[in-house]
Amino acid sequence: MTRTIATDHPFSPDEQAQIARLARLMVPASAVHGVPAADDALILADILHTARSDEVRVRAALEFAGGLGVPLEAAVPRLQGAVEMLPLVVVVMQCYYRDDRVMQALGMEARPPFPQGFEVPQGDWSLLEAVQRRGRIWRDA
Amino acid sequence: MSGGIDYSPADVVIIGAGASGAAAAWNLTETRMRIVCLEQGGWMNPAEYPSTGRDWEARSQSDFAINPNRRQLKSDYPVNDDDCPIKIANFNGVGGGTILYAGHYPRFHPSDFRVASLDGVADDWPIDYATLEPYYAENDRITGVSGLAGDPAYPAKQPLMPPLPLGRSGQKVAQGFDAMGWHWWPSDTAIATTPYNGRDKCINLGFCLHGCAQGAKASTDITYWPEAIRAGVELRTWCRVKEIAVDDDTGMACGVSYYDEQGEEQFQPAHIVIMACNGVGTPRILLNSRSERFPDGLANTSGLVGTHLMLHPYASIYGVFDEELDGYRGPHDALWSQEFYETDVSRGFVRGFTYEFNRGRGPVATALTGAFSGRIPWGEGHHDAYRALFNRICGMVAICEDLPEAHNTVTLDPVLRDAHGIPAPKMTYTLSDNSRAMLDFAVERASEVLQAVGAQDLMVESPLSIGGWHLMGTARMGNDPGNSVVNAWGRAHDVRNLFVVDGSLFVTSAGVNPTRTIQSLALYVTDQMKKRLTNLFDAP
Ligand SMILES: Cc1cc2nc3c(=O)[nH]c(=O)nc-3n(C[C@H](O)[C@H](O)[C@H](O)COP(=O)(O)OP(=O)(O)OC[C@H]3O[C@@H](n4cnc5c(N)ncnc54)[C@H](O)[C@@H]3O)c2cc1C
Ligand code: SF4
Repeated sequence: MTRTIATDHPFSPDEQAQIARLARLMVPASAVHGVPAADDALILADILHTARSDEVRVRAALEFAGGLGVPLEAAVPRLQGAVEMLPLVVVVMQCYYRDDRVMQALGMEARPPFPQGFEVPQGDWSLLEAVQRRGRIWRDA
Repeated sequence: MSGGIDYSPADVVIIGAGASGAAAAWNLTETRMRIVCLEQGGWMNPAEYPSTGRDWEARSQSDFAINPNRRQLKSDYPVNDDDCPIKIANFNGVGGGTILYAGHYPRFHPSDFRVASLDGVADDWPIDYATLEPYYAENDRITGVSGLAGDPAYPAKQPLMPPLPLGRSGQKVAQGFDAMGWHWWPSDTAIATTPYNGRDKCINLGFCLHGCAQGAKASTDITYWPEAIRAGVELRTWCRVKEIAVDDDTGMACGVSYYDEQGEEQFQPAHIVIMACNGVGTPRILLNSRSERFPDGLANTSGLVGTHLMLHPYASIYGVFDEELDGYRGPHDALWSQEFYETDVSRGFVRGFTYEFNRGRGPVATALTGAFSGRIPWGEGHHDAYRALFNRICGMVAICEDLPEAHNTVTLDPVLRDAHGIPAPKMTYTLSDNSRAMLDFAVERASEVLQAVGAQDLMVESPLSIGGWHLMGTARMGNDPGNSVVNAWGRAHDVRNLFVVDGSLFVTSAGVNPTRTIQSLALYVTDQMKKRLTNLFDAP
């Protein structure tokens, strides 16, 4: 069968719409936490772009979700644990949790780790004293 | 000369520019021999490592995946691990596995070289801790090792830089070990905590497993290789070795056939060949080097090439805590515990294991952990469930000593081939009863540690399926040619100008990460070569 594709995107408009619906079902917006849903325009654009690199497996996930014979909303209990959905879950989470607004809502700076790095406290080195008191534990050979 | 490449006979050809190949090349430079290293991958550009971009976590699943079958870069070859519950993890390029390694850098213990004498299992090594000690020290100097002197689990050794910070997560786990009255100590790491030899100190990017953009982690492309190249070693990249050729009259290796970057087959003659392709890559090339004289593969009259594969079964045990921990910040390797390292048969197994602390995980990894384990639902509950995990997970992995068993093997896959048509390796491996008992014990004890300091919820995977990163034992050393592939100084029993310096050499695996020992062995073997240069090819 020849697939009619409206744009040069590997996913058809219907598939793109299905990805958006599934993304929002996974991660809806939250006023309490001050975060958008995963089908927010910016995040969705990232998801659609990223999904290209795993096109075959993401399409298989869409076919699985669409083939359950019930509306997607009603299928959530079956979808959320299904291994068939993993490729799409991976893409959605990768894109959602690198969005500036989402990172900032988590208390992170919206930047890559390099070059600033991060602070890690030394911690309490006096905890070692108990180990030092026990003495040697290696075996002679 | 052809196309700028000098194909006249080299004194030494080293195959593989990873952890051991780099150390071997560097150590041979003072001989002033002409040394050529052939490496199937290229040089890394740290400015392109994942931690420099916003997609840092995503790239750990694509071009920086630890599994070559997923990564599928031009430098990679496929590995059939269908019959292996622990999947292959490696990196192919200048630096080899050290590009991705965590830099957890323990030594073996004296008892690790005497397993048969002490515990009645496996074989003793033909060398001991004292033999390797000066090479450990030399390798530590080039690599730059951080840690704290005085670990009661080891003979005295002197780290060169202070240890990594404990952080909130390390403190939590240390409190857990203290609560149980068990050993822990700041880990030795191949991570610079102060500027070292032109490398800058660690800035806690927390993404060591996918390349260190800061250059704090000692991958050999920034430690041994620059010095070796300055001293005259020729490192030829994008050269995939197919086989080692043998002079059928003398039975000596006479050179190496390889595919260059253009896919053209080339032949580099050599007086000495050194294998440094790791515990899977080395047996693969030896087995593929068949000749009239060696119909079952080179150096394989014992039939042992590719057998006794050891992998270190891992268990991972994490706790979820109420309070905020380090999460995505900082390298993992802050501490280890060797409370259960030495044999105590009342535990139901022989030998033992090391716990290696694990600091936490990034925002995407947290979401995926939660989603895959059913802890984070779709829909309304997503955000609260996510926040109960984010920056609240820490724990450890147990690195279990894997005993050498002949039926765990690397063979040539009859069907699968790499992009150049060279047969791919196939790993066949079953977990022993001893390993299963050790893994179960390790999970139980680690759970007690984490629960002692308030872990609400435990996440356990045992064995860790992704953890085939320690590849050992497939060209084992020994004094008896019937029970080993190379002799006590790394020379093949069958072929007197063929040496092995990588993890294939291991007689037993110990219960620690192997790379510090692999590199020290590479220095030891090449030192033995230097001492014997005038009679290197003589009968033993
Ligand atoms: C994700 C990960 C984490 C790790 N963490 C740790 C850790 O914390 N501590 C630790 O001690 N170890 C760790 N390791 C293991 C460590 O990387 C290896 O033990 C070490 O790199 C092995 O050294 P080697 O010299 O035997 O082989 P490698 O470093 O694997 O080098 C082999 C080289 O040979 C090349 N090669 C192979 N075949 C050919 C061919 N046919 N032609 C040309 N070139 C070829 C490869 O491209 C490669 O560059 C980790 C590994 C991984 C993948
Ligand atoms: S945590 Fe330190 S060693 Fe690891 S990648 Fe970052 S800077 Fe490098």
